[in-house]
This record gives sequence, C-alpha cells and structure tokens, in this order.
Amino acid sequence: MNRPSALKMAFVHLGLSLMCIVTLYPVLWVVKMALSPTDGLSLTANPFPETVTFEHFREVLFGTDAEGRWLFGRQLLSSLVVSGATTVVGLTLAVTAAYALSRFRFPGKEGGMQALLVTQMFPATLMLVPIYSILQKLRLLDTLTGLVLVYATTALPFCIWMLKGYFDTLPRELEEAAVMDGASPLQVFLRVVLPLARPALAVTALFSFMTAWNEFVLAATLLNDPTRFTLPVALQRYVGEYKVEWGKFAACALVVSAPVMALFFALQKHLVGGLTAGGVKG
Amino acid sequence: MRRLLALALLVAAWSAHAADAPLKLWHAYRGAEEAALLKATGLFTQKTGVKVELLALPYDAYAAKLTNAIPHGAGPDVFLFNHERLRNFQAQKLVAPTTDRIVRGDYFANTVEALEVEGQLYGYPLSLKSLALYVNTRLVPQPPANTDELLRLLPTLSDAGQGRFGLAYESGDFYYHAAFLFGFDGPLFDASGRASFQTQGMARSLTFVKKLQDAGYIPQEASGALVKSLFNDERAAMVISGPWFAGEVASSVPYRVVALPVVSATGIPMRPFLGVEAAFVSSRAQQPQKAHQLARFLSMGEASRVRATQGRQIPADVAVYQLPEVRDDVLISSFREAARHATPMPNTLEMARVWEPMKLTLRAVLQGGTAPEEAGALADRRYRALHRERPPDASFAPWLGLAGALVLGGGVWVLRRPAAPLPFRQRYPDVARAAAYLAPAAAGLGVLVFIPFAVGLSLSLFHHEAGTYTFVGLANFVDILASRGYRITEPLSFYFTLAVTLLWALVNVVLHVGIGLALALLLKNPLLKLRGLYRVLLIIPWAVPNYITALMWKGMFHRQFGAINGLLVMLGLEPVSWFTRFSTAFAANVATNTWLGFPFMMVVALGALQSIPQELYEAAEVDGASRWTQLRRITLPLLRPAMLPAIILGSVWTFNMFNIIYLVSGGEPGGGTDILVSEAFRWAFQRNEQYGFAAAYSVLIFVVLLGWSAFTRRLTRADAEVTG
Amino acid sequence: MSEVILSGIKKSFGANLIVKGVDLQVGEGEFLVMVGPSGCGKTTLLRLIAGLEQVDAGEVRIAGRRVNDVPPRDRDVAMVFQSYALYPHMTVRENLAFGLTLRKFPQVEIDQRVAEVASMLELSHLLDRKPKALSGGQRQRVAMGRAIVRQPQVFLFDEPLSNLDTALRVQMRGELARLHRRLGATMIYVTHDQVEAMTLATRVAVFNGGVLQQVGPPLELYNRPANRFVAGFLGSPAMNFLEARRDGQHLVGKGFTLPAPADLSPDAARVLVGLRPQDLRVAAQGPLTGTVDAVERLGFDGYAFLTTESGPVAARFDRGTVVSVGDKVSLLPMSDALHVFSEDGATALRHPADRESLGVAS
Repeated sequence: MNRPSALKMAFVHLGLSLMCIVTLYPVLWVVKMALSPTDGLSLTANPFPETVTFEHFREVLFGTDAEGRWLFGRQLLSSLVVSGATTVVGLTLAVTAAYALSRFRFPGKEGGMQALLVTQMFPATLMLVPIYSILQKLRLLDTLTGLVLVYATTALPFCIWMLKGYFDTLPRELEEAAVMDGASPLQVFLRVVLPLARPALAVTALFSFMTAWNEFVLAATLLNDPTRFTLPVALQRYVGEYKVEWGKFAACALVVSAPVMALFFALQKHLVGGLTAGGVKG
Repeated sequence: MRRLLALALLVAAWSAHAADAPLKLWHAYRGAEEAALLKATGLFTQKTGVKVELLALPYDAYAAKLTNAIPHGAGPDVFLFNHERLRNFQAQKLVAPTTDRIVRGDYFANTVEALEVEGQLYGYPLSLKSLALYVNTRLVPQPPANTDELLRLLPTLSDAGQGRFGLAYESGDFYYHAAFLFGFDGPLFDASGRASFQTQGMARSLTFVKKLQDAGYIPQEASGALVKSLFNDERAAMVISGPWFAGEVASSVPYRVVALPVVSATGIPMRPFLGVEAAFVSSRAQQPQKAHQLARFLSMGEASRVRATQGRQIPADVAVYQLPEVRDDVLISSFREAARHATPMPNTLEMARVWEPMKLTLRAVLQGGTAPEEAGALADRRYRALHRERPPDASFAPWLGLAGALVLGGGVWVLRRPAAPLPFRQRYPDVARAAAYLAPAAAGLGVLVFIPFAVGLSLSLFHHEAGTYTFVGLANFVDILASRGYRITEPLSFYFTLAVTLLWALVNVVLHVGIGLALALLLKNPLLKLRGLYRVLLIIPWAVPNYITALMWKGMFHRQFGAINGLLVMLGLEPVSWFTRFSTAFAANVATNTWLGFPFMMVVALGALQSIPQELYEAAEVDGASRWTQLRRITLPLLRPAMLPAIILGSVWTFNMFNIIYLVSGGEPGGGTDILVSEAFRWAFQRNEQYGFAAAYSVLIFVVLLGWSAFTRRLTRADAEVTG
Repeated sequence: MSEVILSGIKKSFGANLIVKGVDLQVGEGEFLVMVGPSGCGKTTLLRLIAGLEQVDAGEVRIAGRRVNDVPPRDRDVAMVFQSYALYPHMTVRENLAFGLTLRKFPQVEIDQRVAEVASMLELSHLLDRKPKALSGGQRQRVAMGRAIVRQPQVFLFDEPLSNLDTALRVQMRGELARLHRRLGATMIYVTHDQVEAMTLATRVAVFNGGVLQQVGPPLELYNRPANRFVAGFLGSPAMNFLEARRDGQHLVGKGFTLPAPADLSPDAARVLVGLRPQDLRVAAQGPLTGTVDAVERLGFDGYAFLTTESGPVAARFDRGTVVSVGDKVSLLPMSDALHVFSEDGATALRHPADRESLGVAS
C-alpha cells in the first residue's frame, strides 16, 4: 500500500476530529448537567461546567431511600443480575436456535426466519398488556426470572438473525473434521463452533445486555419491590409528573451508561468482525 | 370430622396470615413528599399495628402498571394518584367507592367534587395542586394584583436579548394556559358538557399570551427546567407554577407566593385548574377494611400535618389548617388562598379529549403559525378528529366463517400438494436434532413474543373503551384508511403520517449509511494514527440509551438557550425556532437520530471493508482505475451483501423509532412530524386508551414493513445471483 | 482386517442421484485412488465411507462390520480435507491432540503420540503456533498429522494436495507414498489429478456420472481401459479417438486407413479406434495426415496437436524432428498400438499387448 501524503492524512484527521467533536458535544452537556450545582439547562453553548460539584453523583450513588435503604447498591446488583442472566439465557437460546437454522435441514426453516423478522416490525408498546397476563398465568410476575425471560425473548429475534448469519460463514468442513476426530454433535458445537463464533457471540451478548440494562417500562410494570428495580427505573424516578430533577437525572444517566460504554470499548474489536455476518467472505 | 377440623385450622391459619400481611401502598412521590408519606404510614402502623409496604414508581410507568396489575389481583391495596385519571380507573373498575365512608365536611368542597363520578365518590382527597404566582421580591416588591399592573411591570423587568424575562411559565402547556382561559371568561365546556373551543375567551386569552411572548416578556418554548433555572438565576422576576416549585427555588432567591392576578379586561381572577391528589382504595384490595382505614388516615389529622409540614403539600383536609404550624406557613396558606379560585379539573372523558387539541393549538399560536382568532376553529377540528365515536358492533359470524374457510383451504392445499419426491426422513435427516436445538428458543418466543403478537394483531378488530372490548370488525381500519376527520394532506391523517414516516426512514437510513461508510473509509487506513481512539469516540452514541440521547438533543435544539442556536449565533446567523416549522422540526429529529444511528453502520461497514481482499485494489490500481472508480466498482459492490441486512434491520428500527420523535419534536408542529408509531402510541395511551385503534395502526405499520421486507428480500436475492 | 467393502451404494441429494449403485472392495493396506471429473460422485462416496453422509441404499462395511448406522467417530476412520479444516482457534499441538482428547486418552499417551507424529512430519518446532501462522505445506502436514495421530484403520483423503503448488505437491506425493508404506494402513484417496492416481495408487477406481467405470492397478487401467471414458481420462495428452468402419482387413475412417488388428472380432462393423499420442509419431510418411495447430516441446521429445479429417489428434515427435505450426505432416502409429472400442465407446474390443517398457506419461 502506498503511504498517503501528509496533506491527505491531515484532512482525514481533520474530518475525524470534527466528527468526534460532534459525537462528544452532547455527551459533554450531560456531564455538565451532572456536575453543575444548579439543576437545569445552561444558558450558554459552552459544554464545560463552570463550577463543579459531585453532589448529584453523591446523592445518586450513595443516597438512601426514605426507609434508609441504600437503593443504588441493590438496584445495581439487580440490574447486573437481570442483565447478566438475560445475556446468558438469551445467548443460550439464540445460539442453539441459530445453529439449527444455519446447519440443519427441516421444514418451515425459511418461514421461521421470516417470522422472526416479522416480530421486529410490530410496535412493542402494544405487547405489554398480553405479556403481563401471560407472566401472571405463569406465576412469574414480580420475579426477576419473569423479567429476564421477557427481555431474553424480546432480544432473541435479532440475536438469532445475527448469529445465524455468522454461522453461515463458518466453513462446514471444520465441523466435519471434528466429527471425524470423534466429537459428538454436542462437542462439535461446544468445542469447535462456539469458539469460532466468538466475535458474533460477543456482539450478541452485548446486544442482549443492553436490551436488559436500558429498559424501564417493563421493569417498573412487572416488579413490585423497589429493592429489585433495575437502574433505569431508578433513573426514570427523577422524571416526575411535575418536575424533572435534571442534575440527578444526568448523573444517574451517566452512571447507567458507563458500564455499557465500558463493554463497548472492551468488545469493540469483536464488534467490527462480529457484526459483519454473511459478509464479503461468505 | 377430622377433615373439617383440618379445614377450619387451615382457614384460621390463612386468615391469621392475611391479618399479618402488610398493606401495599403505591405512589410516585420523591424526596420530601416521599419522606412525609413514609412518616405518615409509620404513624398509621403505630396506631393500628398494621404494617404498610410502600412502592415508589417512576411516574411514566405508573398508570400502565396500575391498569395491568389491579385486574390481575397483583396490585396495591391503596394507591396515590391525581384525580384526572379517576374516570378511567372507575370505568376499568380499579377503584372502590368511598361514598358512604367519607365525611364531606372534612375536606374542601371542591376537592371532594373532584372525586365524584356518576354520583359516587372514589378515594380520599389528600392534597391540592394548583398554580400560583411566585414573585421574586427583590425584583418585584409589590406583586401585581391584576393584568394591567402586570403589563406595567413587565417592560422594565424584561430584556429578551439578555435572556431576562418579567414572567416565566410553561406557556406551551394547556394546564398553565387554562388559568388565562378561565380568567378571560372562556368556558371550556358548553352546557351539554361537550368541549367548546370557538369562544371569545379562547381568542382573547391566546391574544394576550401571544402578545406577552412577542414583546419578549415571557420565554419561548419554556420547559420546567428552563423556568426553574431562570428564576434561580433571577432572570425571571415572576413564575407561574405549583407547590412543587417551592422545593426547586434556590435559597438565595427571596420570593413569595401570591394568587394569580385578576384579568383586568374581565375582572375575573385567573383561575387555574385544581388538581386533587387522592388515596384510592383498589377494588381488588386484599384487606378492604384496613385499606380504607389507611387511605382515610393518610388524608387527615396527623398524617395531613406531616404531609403539609414535611412534604410541603397543600392538604385538602380542612381541620389541619387550624394547627398553627400549618396556618402560619406562608407558602401553604398562599397556595390554599390561590386555590380558592381554582377550577376543579373535570375527571370526565371529555376533559381527557381536550388536552391534545389544546396543546396543538396553543403551540400553533405561540409559534406563529395560527392567528389567535382562528385558534378555536383549529382546536375544534382537531378535537373532532381525535374524538372517535365508538364504531358499531360487528358480528363474529362472518369472521368465524372466514377463519374456517382459511383452515379448510389450507388443509386442502396441504393435502393436494404434489407428493414430495423423497420420504420426509430422507429429505430432512436432521429434523429431530433441529427440534431439540430449537425447542427452548421456540418455546420462549412462542409464549412471550408470538402470543402477545397475535393478541396485538387481533386487538385491531376490537374497540376498547374503559376496560371493555367490543368486536367491531374492520371499522378501525376503515376509519384510518378513509382518513376520517382529516384531509389526506393534513398532518395526523394516515397518509400524511405514512409519507412522513417513509421520508423519515429514508433520510435516516441514507444518512446513517452515508456517514457510517464515509467514516469507515477514513478509519480503514491501517497507517492512520490514533485510529483506535477515533473509533472508540465515534462509537459512544451507540452506547448511550436512546431516551437519554433524545432528551439531550431536545435541550440542544431549544430556541433561546439551546447549544445549536448558540453555535448559529456564534457564526453570525439568526437563531432558528426549531419546532415551529415542519422542515426544521424534522431536521432536528433527523439530526438526533443520525447521531445515535451512524455508529452501528460505521462498525458494520468497517467490518465489511476489512474483509475485502487488498489484492483487488492492487489489481485495480494496475488496471489504472482511479480512487473514485475503485470505490464505485470494487468497494461499494462488495460491501453490498454485508450492508444490505444491516440496512434492512436499520430501516425497520428507524421506522419504529418512537423515542426520538416523541421526546425530541413531540410531533410538533401540530403533529406534523409524528410518525406512525408515535401516532399508535398516542391512540393507545393518550387518547382514552383506544387500544383497538392503536392496534389497527400497528397492523398497518406491520403491513408496510412486510411489504418493505419483501421488496428488500428480492433485492438481496438478486444480489445473491450477481455475486454467486 | 481393515478392508472397506461398498455394495450397491446409492446416494442422492434432493432429486439428483449422485452415486448410482457402486460396488467396490478396498483390501487391507491398499492405497485406492478414486478419480474422475468433478461431480462424478467420488467425494460423495468418500463422505459416505466416512459417515458424514448417510447412504440411501446399499451397504458400507469397514473391517467386516456393517457401518451404515455407525456414527463417524465409531468407524475408526480418519479424514484429511481438501481445505485442511484445521481448527483456527487451536494451536498445532491442540489440533493434533483434539481427536485423542475427545477419546479420553491419557495425557501421557497423547503427548507421546503428538510428539511422534510431529517429528515424523517435521512439525516439532511449530507445535505452539496457530494454523494462521503456517505456510500451505505446513498446514497440509498438520492436517495429515491429525489423521495419523489417531492411528485409524482407514485413512480417507479428499484431494489433499490440490491447494499446493507443483513443487510441494510432488514432494508431498512422495511423503504420502512413504507414509503409506510405513503405516501400512488402508487408504482411500480422492483426486481429479490422474498423476496422483497413477503414482500413489495400488489400485485406481475411475468414476464418471456416479458410476464406477473401472477399478484396477494403475498400469492395467492405462493399458487395458475398459471403455472410452477410462481410456480418455488416464494418460496425458489424452488418447486420440478416431471413428472407423471395418472394411475387410482394414479399419477405414475419414482420411485414413489402418490395418485391422488380427485379434479384433470381425463382427464389429463400426468401431472407435483409440491411439495414445505416445504411440503416434510424426513421420515422413504415414496413414494419417493433418495440419499442426500447436506444438509442445518438452525437451527430449514433444507433442504436436493437429487437425485431421477425423478431428483433432495429438502425436509425439522426437527431438530430431522439426515441426512447426501450420505444417502439414503425416502420422505413423507404432506397431500394435491400437485400442479398439465399440462404436459408442462403452466397451473395449481389444487392447495392444502389454508392453512393460512403456512408462506412464508424466
């Protein structure tokens, strides 16, 4: 490859830096809101806080509820448990289904794939009422299990699509080689297919995790115990009927977004490879 | 005998258990109000020995939770809510009547009236919420008693260029404007109880407010946060707000609260809506006696005192004002005073139908699109369009017939299909294994995705009103497709909204892909320094939950204080009032959604680019292809197979990107920027829970997307043929 | 006792019948090469033996045991894939050990066997690398090592050398032959390259269109091809075919007359004459003439490709002969060189007498 000229590189850097500024500007605003002592919108276009206070963070992170319980800790735990379990359950279900859809011949395969896509097209808001009734019938209301199942299944169609696309690009000969080496179908799946699908698994896991981590309407509707609420529910509590506590909302928003961002950065290498399912190579 | 004994023991044990069970109390309070409530329930437990379990909910999810939980017996015994939704709760049989239990004289008369539905009383009034005037006493030593005085004061207090205003309130919200409307003697309902908009009072009140805004006396597009920060920075001398605002005022600001001024032109005081917060007893309360006891306890006496002194609420209980600490509390007594003129907000369905047309109209006037005199007519048209009569009931019979015919036809088709050339087992050798792998996912999807989906689909054939569903056949679809109530080219008609939605999806996807691809091409070069850093920074928007993104950008697009206008001014341009015109409001939505959507496409494109073999470019270079030709002939065609699925998925997501539309432009101006999903949402949750109608909208969305996916599927198939 | 017996094997994919009833026996320690054009069913047959596909009809026996319903791992066969199919997420060592680990061999034995195979294949210094970091030839050896380490009764090779360059291929061919001698195991090898077939095989099986055409030692197939397909498939350049009719003591075709071999049955009125280019010389005089289209000089001798009245024909010329494109030349068959087939090419009517001296073309 030719080494590009310095001028060209300068332009590339200029373009990228500009986009980074556009990307960061709104985020800085949230940071400013979270760090500014006065609650509310700033009157300037300057995205840096003039005075800095950690009061909002302190209240969000260490505040106790009226009964003196340290809710943030419990809700963080609950969020982690729910999101983690959603990821595990969602991934397990998606991986097996996607593998079957990619490798096995059976009737209704095409139809099934289409049906999955179709569910993504129906606005989710109208599903709440039936989901509530179903969970009640299953006696899963007000349980984290119920919430996990709902999250995992709602994230499933996308996850299955992603993984199926990726499995399609894996050469079958590797699995056949494993079969010849004496692997049982399960061993082929666990020891050859899954390790090879790591990038796609990472992306799918991230997606499932995000689904659960950011959702609040279902969590607030299905759960009845404030200590089991997830963080976004806590976040939404700053948005009241008459007023919004912007400073705390911003601080809490940053706290809620931080783990997802961390995951993104940790997984970004995989993201690039994993998302390109059915890509040019296939 | 033994069995009987066992049974008796069991019953005894159960009832003993029930006696021990704590009462469940749900609310959406925060901060001081929550603390006061906790103390009040503590007092109740002390007195009766009955434990109370509190659950604090986010306001946005509260109503949905109540309507879902109570009918299933999973709800609270007592819940606190404002009285506005009472009519809905009553119709859905969520609340227990209190007619025989309540002593009317214990409370202010208008608060009890607010809880009346069809001659029955529901709930116990806790507190009042109404508007009053907060006055910065440093800037305004003598509060205005009437609007003439107000108008005299305002010019000296205001300097819009400097961001200073004589008065600030959420002028785009009809809850606030109602005070003006009633002050100008505008009735909201005619003698028959129907909403009426084309009145003198409407025109005059709107003219008055528009003048205030045009003169720069009040800020434009004021949100609660803006009002608060203006008052705390002493850039707003006066503020119209409710008791909740008191907790937001900075300690450095000297202020007092007075009743809203009298409208000089009519001699009538400005009369805000009166909201009543009440403790409602659930119709499915496990322990109704104790629940009533708790609700009543909270509404008066010691509990009332705690709520007033600690929670800073304005009690509805008369007796508590005898206590010196309540009587002498300036804020509470001022609000109590201000509330004397307040109009109890009707808890009727008719009231619920007023909000949306009035909001649209109010904004249309303030944003300058509509003259105040024509506003009433506009509101009336909107009102009639949104006020759907219940369609006539339809008979199930033809539908059952149709379903039967379909099943029969399907059966015949299956049976008459030419026999497969191979036996099933041979054609599908892995059926058993496939079934094993698919079963868990299929079970989950079936129960939690496909059944709700089917229910959602079938809802579209029903009409929902207050908890009961009636079968109406295709009436919902007919209404939507015939664009009943709107001209086809008007915002809110299905076709207009569809066109906006398609434009929305198209523009967004083009921008997402364009920007994503451009950045990916820039980032592709492995010799680029700081590549990793750029990539990390550019991915950030994807990691931010999109409701946070939406609120962020909404603030940035603010007319007077938004960062975007700040930048425009810095560049020497005119600030833009983003949400007053379709083009700019749409652009604001698009900007927000582009910001949050391009990283996904960038990452997909980056992955796809990396998998294009470098030799192809080298070969092209040898062939003398220019950079541009290489991009067009190699990069783009080879990216297609990877990008297409992402684009299809992206377009489906954008099509249903509710949060952005709802939170950024909110459909402004006049519902123009609403897309189909946000319309469906409004029908489901803001227009008297017309689930059936909303479902019909959703079905249409679904059909459009189905068509789109069929189209793209042909694209991908053609693609597969090209690339082999 | 590790012979492989196929009887009446049929296999179809969808509506396509790929293997149309094959009977084949592979004896213990034999090196059987299956050749044929692509799509002839040879790879499918290999996969049926491996157990990667299920037969529709017929029977597969390995070491005397019917294995139709035995999963691949219990058939005691190992397979080397065309693409090598090395596990990219494992090191060479792990790749080699994978099969043994799955079979729960003791770690000591695994280590020992891996080391043994690695040194045999000169892979010892590469054991901790991932496949990505290996050259094509090294990957190929790992793929073979993975099969060898398990010490199976039967080795299956699916075009294992087709991804290598010529020099490596020759080298690996030698190694394969050595390996076979050393292990003495039964090997079944699929290729479309007739050179590999001729050099490696103890017996060659030629397939076309899902049907076994002929099976036998390489030279036998070369010298006594059972039909036109086999005759044309083996040997390079391919055998020339000339249509002819019997006219008394002669075979007469367009533009030539040849004496009919004495042992040819007089019943055959119309026949197909087969002449290997090696048996046809460019000469001053001969029964066949044509115009030279192309010339391939190989050093010691060379081949001329001509157009004759009976169609395209290839012929050999010696170092001393001057042949250039456009020349009109005569061709002279060597004595007793004629293969004669039935008119449709389905059966051979006669072959020249065996000539041990005649080597295999390269």
